[in-house]
Amino acid sequence: MSLELLMVVALGGSLLTYVLGRVSSRLRNGFAVLVSLALVAMVASLYGKALHVSYYEDFLGMSLVLRVSGLSWLFAMTASTLGCLSVVFSLSYMKGKERTSFYYSMLLLVNAAMLGVVLSGDLLSLFIFWEIMSWSTFLLISYNGGPALAAGMKYFVMSFVGSLAMLAGLLTVYGSFGTLEFGGVAAGMLSASPGYILAIFVLFGVAFGTKNAIWPFHAWLPPAHSEAPSPFSAILSGILIKMGVYGFLLIIFVLVGLRNFMALGADGLPLHTVLSIVGAITILFPTFMAIMQNDAKKLLAWSTVAQAGYIILGISFGTSLSVAGGVFHFVNHAVFKALLFMVVGTVEYRTKGVRDLDSLGGLIKKMPLTFAVALIGVCGLIGVPLTNGFVSKWLIYKTLILERSPFLALVALFGTWGTILYSYKFLHNIFLGQLPEKYKDLERAPMTMRLPMTVLSIVVVLFGVLPGIPLSVINSIDTSFGLKPLNVTLWGLASDTGALNTINILAAVFAGLLIVWLVLKSGGRKVSVDQADNYAAGAAIPKDKYQYSVGFYAPLTRMVAPYLKDFMDSFYMRLAGWVGGLGSGIRRIYTGYVGDYAMYIVLFLAALIFVQLTWSPW
Amino acid sequence: MDRNQLTKWFKAPTKMAHKYSLHAVYFCTGCGVIEIPPTITARWDAERFGVIPAATPRHANLFLITGYVSVKTLRAVIRTYEQMPEPKFTVGFGSCPINGGMYWDSYNTINQLDKYIPIDGWIAGCMPRPEAIFVAVTHLWTLIDKDMADGYKRYRKHYAQYRANQEQVLGELEWPPLFQSEREG
Amino acid sequence: MRILWLVLSPLIALAVGLFFLGLSRRVMARIHWRYGPPLYQPLIEIFRYFTQKGSSHGVLFGLGIVLSLAGSIVVILFLPFGGICSMSGSGGMLVVLYMMLLAPLGIALSGGEAANPNASIGISRKLMLALGYELPFLLIVLAIMTHYDTISLVDIVSAQRETASAFASFPLVLSGIAYLLILPAMLGMRPFEVVHAPQEISSGPIAEYSGPYLGLVTIQHALTTFIGISLFVNLVWGGAGNPFVFFLKMLVVLAFGLFVNAAFPRLRVEQAVRYLWRWPTLIAFVGLILVVTLGR
Ligand code: SF4
Repeated sequence: MSLELLMVVALGGSLLTYVLGRVSSRLRNGFAVLVSLALVAMVASLYGKALHVSYYEDFLGMSLVLRVSGLSWLFAMTASTLGCLSVVFSLSYMKGKERTSFYYSMLLLVNAAMLGVVLSGDLLSLFIFWEIMSWSTFLLISYNGGPALAAGMKYFVMSFVGSLAMLAGLLTVYGSFGTLEFGGVAAGMLSASPGYILAIFVLFGVAFGTKNAIWPFHAWLPPAHSEAPSPFSAILSGILIKMGVYGFLLIIFVLVGLRNFMALGADGLPLHTVLSIVGAITILFPTFMAIMQNDAKKLLAWSTVAQAGYIILGISFGTSLSVAGGVFHFVNHAVFKALLFMVVGTVEYRTKGVRDLDSLGGLIKKMPLTFAVALIGVCGLIGVPLTNGFVSKWLIYKTLILERSPFLALVALFGTWGTILYSYKFLHNIFLGQLPEKYKDLERAPMTMRLPMTVLSIVVVLFGVLPGIPLSVINSIDTSFGLKPLNVTLWGLASDTGALNTINILAAVFAGLLIVWLVLKSGGRKVSVDQADNYAAGAAIPKDKYQYSVGFYAPLTRMVAPYLKDFMDSFYMRLAGWVGGLGSGIRRIYTGYVGDYAMYIVLFLAALIFVQLTWSPW
Repeated sequence: MDRNQLTKWFKAPTKMAHKYSLHAVYFCTGCGVIEIPPTITARWDAERFGVIPAATPRHANLFLITGYVSVKTLRAVIRTYEQMPEPKFTVGFGSCPINGGMYWDSYNTINQLDKYIPIDGWIAGCMPRPEAIFVAVTHLWTLIDKDMADGYKRYRKHYAQYRANQEQVLGELEWPPLFQSEREG
Repeated sequence: MRILWLVLSPLIALAVGLFFLGLSRRVMARIHWRYGPPLYQPLIEIFRYFTQKGSSHGVLFGLGIVLSLAGSIVVILFLPFGGICSMSGSGGMLVVLYMMLLAPLGIALSGGEAANPNASIGISRKLMLALGYELPFLLIVLAIMTHYDTISLVDIVSAQRETASAFASFPLVLSGIAYLLILPAMLGMRPFEVVHAPQEISSGPIAEYSGPYLGLVTIQHALTTFIGISLFVNLVWGGAGNPFVFFLKMLVVLAFGLFVNAAFPRLRVEQAVRYLWRWPTLIAFVGLILVVTLGR
């Protein structure tokens, strides 16, 4: 399977989808699903291969390269799978909306661009695909118009700054090594000075960090995630922002090299420590923000920021255990967060666009399957044992404790408790509690929505019970980074300092469940009662009002809210204000008189001549 | 007290368990409520007998109706009684629930509580002292032993009649019948 | 032998937990100058609950409580009980920390399904309180794990064998004190009894449980009491060489909890969280810093 063909299918599929949309929407939907499925199959067939092709020989003296390695395969696989499921999910979600052809085509384009990013073998193609990705993402975020446009604008401006930083880094690298191919850059980096590496790292770090929405570049993410169409939010949160993670992995392990990276600032404040502290802040602060949200998607968006912190924390330690934990957490987060966004999408679809956590409730009675998958997703998010999130978080915690960083471990573990708070709020306010009268005859989710959610929830459990499957892939990535391989078994890890064995946990939990279930069965007869037959001090249940969901954590919110100001966001907004003011100031010089412009030119030339005469720099 | 007789436990464990863990609903209607605090606190210590107040009817199996029942309260009483899990026992406390007592001609209270829910035992008096509650409890034990505290069975059997009585005072009830089939039959 | 302990340890835990429940009611009664119920009163009540008719509020209502109880049972398998630990090699303290989360989560799910706002209020209080005591608790646990450089509970216990308790090894003194300060909150005793507050929110999460479900909740209560106390004994009081000594140590800890319980009124949840995030956290934090800076 050649990589060019893959990219052609991906990009061409997107274009053709738009064209087919003009003919018939049915045809277009089928085609979109087909293309995304084909991509999954094609990426899957690349497993274990190491290809390297240059698809454009002479671009300014460089050849543009596509290549696949273990790392890029994992990212490509996740991206294409999520893309496919999201397209399937969109089939019902987007029904009856306008500009659907545009939507599908953009969805496939984002998908293609992500594949391009992870498959490109030199920095220039990476940059090109990165830009395609950013642009098409912007178009999709602002798809709904109104507030979505503002959110998209925020995203666009921030990611534009990131792109500029990346471009600067790119030019610097090209200037000093004369090549942009990963291999060549890595070879050049071996002899580079630490200051230079730091500069490169910061430039690329800004780009990747903005995409990954780590603190302090997170400001674009919450509005963008909540305003985008739900199936796209799934992609956005699941995989697209993880392109930043890919970037970090690329720059740390492939370009700069682990040894160089760990040596940066080793005598003063080591860079990897800075990165892990940034990761810790990224966990802590957004977790509390998520607890205070009332919009289901905003809650999930903040949670995405927080989980990205775990990934960064894992990567920054640079041991085989921690990198495995970070990469595995990326996969897991992609799975369960996409699942949860789809759940919100389903609820939104059935309730005609309601995602306000204060006005839903009791939907478990109407959508049991959606609740079940949401529960599985939430369990993965919290990291309940026997779901995938547990294994990756376990790896990260264990690293933190073994590396003797108890304060970071504290943040990570405490963040998990925060996660419980907001994810229970999410579950409770949507699915539990009293079912409002107006949702009495809500229908179940349609088939095309249930299918992707079920697939994802199966993956959550599968990776949790048999962590050996993904971990062996990740282990090979670890080895390709030059790290010590882990001792992976199908059921977990066999290591010298405290092993993990999911089969024991599984057996114990199942035995426990069985025993308790039998005890419950042996008890007296049970009758099921309606929600109208609840205890209300003998009074009749007030319909629609007997529900505690508004201000679910009000006491806690009252306590912490004064300390939790998103000051980065307000900083950016103020910055935007200044830039706007500056812009209108500058606009004053465009007076519209030709004479004025002529005077500007003359003045400019005079200044040049003056400079040349006094300092003679040219 | 026969709690310590092992043979009884072996013969009828269920009955014994029900006898010695009577949890009373926190539901206080009339003047009699004033007698409850001394009963459950240090002066009389009902917990010795396993009698403690429960916060919701779902946890309880003893319903003490402590005094007059106004029409408005009756609705809550019925509701609470129906929410208690079976087997459940009710005790009318004071003259008012028995026959109206000093409120016999009130426009707003009901006179005979056992027309609306089944009562297993009565404590007469206006108002009875806490000791009377203990007498009632021990009496209830005997009734349970002899299978005579069967109010909940009577309720099920004559539900149609009870419901009719309830609807007579309260008008149309806003909750569906507790036992669907019995009502039809 | 190991299989036998796998079966026995939950049963022992249940017996001990129920004994503790009975004992605490008795002790409380004596403190109130009452006579109190017999020690086996919880057993009578559980038996009564199981022979009563239960009212179910949906599938998740039963499933949640089953999940919660199963979680507690699994935690017990991971905890050393006086030299006996049935599941020592499967993930250590981190798994215990995570498994301890199943119990509140299960109750929360099933209580939420009951659609009673009292239950929801209780759950939200429980989660906030847990967030409150989890901060100092994690500090303590991390101090201990860093000090002994292991994540396995069995190793922590055996490392304390020389000094008899973590209190005796200098840097952990502060962690031990902080643990004592948060113990009532972890056991859900007054002044932190905000979750079940019967007079206020009708028993909170368990407002809608009846019959067998309530029986399971009571068993669950017994097991969580056991877990809370035995975790304390294992982490900072050196565990014990044999179950009997372990049991005696647990009794002492319970007595401490009961006296606090009897002496205090109930706090509001903000006050509770504020307290937990102030003194115990500060002490535990200083303790962790000591551990990190002083090393072993
Ligand atoms: S019986 Fe007497 S004390 Fe009791 S409610 Fe009636 S009037 Fe009051």
